[in-house]
Amino acid sequence: MREVSSGYGTMRVIHGLNFTIDPGERIGLVGLNGHGKTTLISTIVGMTGWQDGSIEFMGQQIGGRRSHGVGRNTPKIVRSGIAIAPQGDAIFPGLTVEENLASGAYTEGAWKTRKQRRDAILEVFPPLRTRLKQSAGTLSGGERRMVSVGRALMADAKLYLVDEPSLGLAPKISIGLVDALCKIDLGDGAMLIAEQNLPLLSGRCDRILGMHAGELKEDVGEAFGDIPPAAEM
Amino acid sequence: MIELIASGLVLASMYGLVAVGISLTWSSVGMLNLAQGFVFTFGGYVAFLFAQYMAKNFSIRDGVLLSLGVVLLGMIGSAIAGLIVGGLAFLPLHDRVNFPVRGLIATLAISIMGTQIFMLIFGPQSKPLPQIFGIKRLKIGEFSIAYGQVGTIVVATVVLLIVTLWMRRSRRGLQMRAMMMNPLGANMVGVSVRTTGMIALAISGALAGLASVLLGQIFFVSPTSGVQPLIVGLIISLAGGLGSMPGTVLAAVLLGFAEAVTARYTEQSFVPFVQFALVIAILTFKPRGLGGVLEDVRE
Repeated sequence: MREVSSGYGTMRVIHGLNFTIDPGERIGLVGLNGHGKTTLISTIVGMTGWQDGSIEFMGQQIGGRRSHGVGRNTPKIVRSGIAIAPQGDAIFPGLTVEENLASGAYTEGAWKTRKQRRDAILEVFPPLRTRLKQSAGTLSGGERRMVSVGRALMADAKLYLVDEPSLGLAPKISIGLVDALCKIDLGDGAMLIAEQNLPLLSGRCDRILGMHAGELKEDVGEAFGDIPPAAEM
Repeated sequence: MIELIASGLVLASMYGLVAVGISLTWSSVGMLNLAQGFVFTFGGYVAFLFAQYMAKNFSIRDGVLLSLGVVLLGMIGSAIAGLIVGGLAFLPLHDRVNFPVRGLIATLAISIMGTQIFMLIFGPQSKPLPQIFGIKRLKIGEFSIAYGQVGTIVVATVVLLIVTLWMRRSRRGLQMRAMMMNPLGANMVGVSVRTTGMIALAISGALAGLASVLLGQIFFVSPTSGVQPLIVGLIISLAGGLGSMPGTVLAAVLLGFAEAVTARYTEQSFVPFVQFALVIAILTFKPRGLGGVLEDVRE
């Protein structure tokens, strides 16, 4: 990403960001509420009001200057290999858990191997195993989040964007979820996890980027290092 | 008695085809398609032109191939009409403010203009379609049913079953149902709202085209022949719970029989009264319609 700015209407949320994600890397994106983590993820998949600068993905330009057509390119970007687990959960409440997961396997290749992919995800999130035929709207918050993240993992993607996996979950559940996320074998795929809770990520990711007022602070891991985890709870 | 059941089922099949189309469009595209009557008539005229062409140039006036051609061209014609409606009312408007109302007005405009264009090209007279199922009658004991009625019921049932299965099993069907539940979420898993919406419009168009050809067996094709199916299709899809296939089919059966019984024991002119009274009763007790899948989904 080079010189990327974006925002909504007359508001500029992201201010000229530059950064690169390497294949196979697991990156934590930390920052307080309202400092642009979600906007950054939305920018990558073209869901902000406008954007400027250049976003290159595997040699392809997917960003560029744009001032209208919110979300119009999103399906194309997603199909080019960026899977996204949005903030909160954008699951399909009337579909069963099984169908929700299958809907993540959008590309032709992923659709054909959706059974194996699903089994791999059930290894990561065992609680979903007994819920497969249940409609997703009836699940608990933690299970819904598992479905949402699992759906993103179903895709045959090169970059997984996970937005605030711990939001609104009990500490114990969110630790389990992030643990699972960090254990998954992504092959050469990369993952970006946005999170407010730094101790949840520290030590589990390859790199931690800090975000403050729409600007990136590289490797803030140590700066926050002396804050005792209890203070974050 | 059998005749009553047969005519009830025939009406139910026809209304069901139109209503499922309207319901599908509403729940996936988010647009109440008032141009469905135009789509319906369009397919009827395409089928009529085909039959006329075959009769003039090849002197083919009946037979299995002609029947198949009439049905297929009716469906293809209406699918194209569905795409035209999509191109005019859905693609340019769907990400603008207040799309449901704008879409409603746009489709109403297409509907009115379409009727006038048909009037201009084909004139106000009705055009006949060939009898695709022949004119013989099927004898069951002392009763007899026209082949046309049996054919209509069978074809409509089979097609609706295929569409239901396709929605349940295929990737596109899953995408479409995902889009009904949560358009934003669907966008994020790579479902293009524009492409999927156009597919939904083409499918509901094809269903309307089939209904048009089947209805053409009883009533001829005329510029305004889409109005009645549109109105009944709309109230059925409402009563069935917009977006629910089983609910819509159930509502179509109920209203079809209501019409058959009313027309037989009273007068044809009472039919709309009974139908609307029935729908009001259904919506009073089940405000979300019989299917009610949209309970907590799309608001």
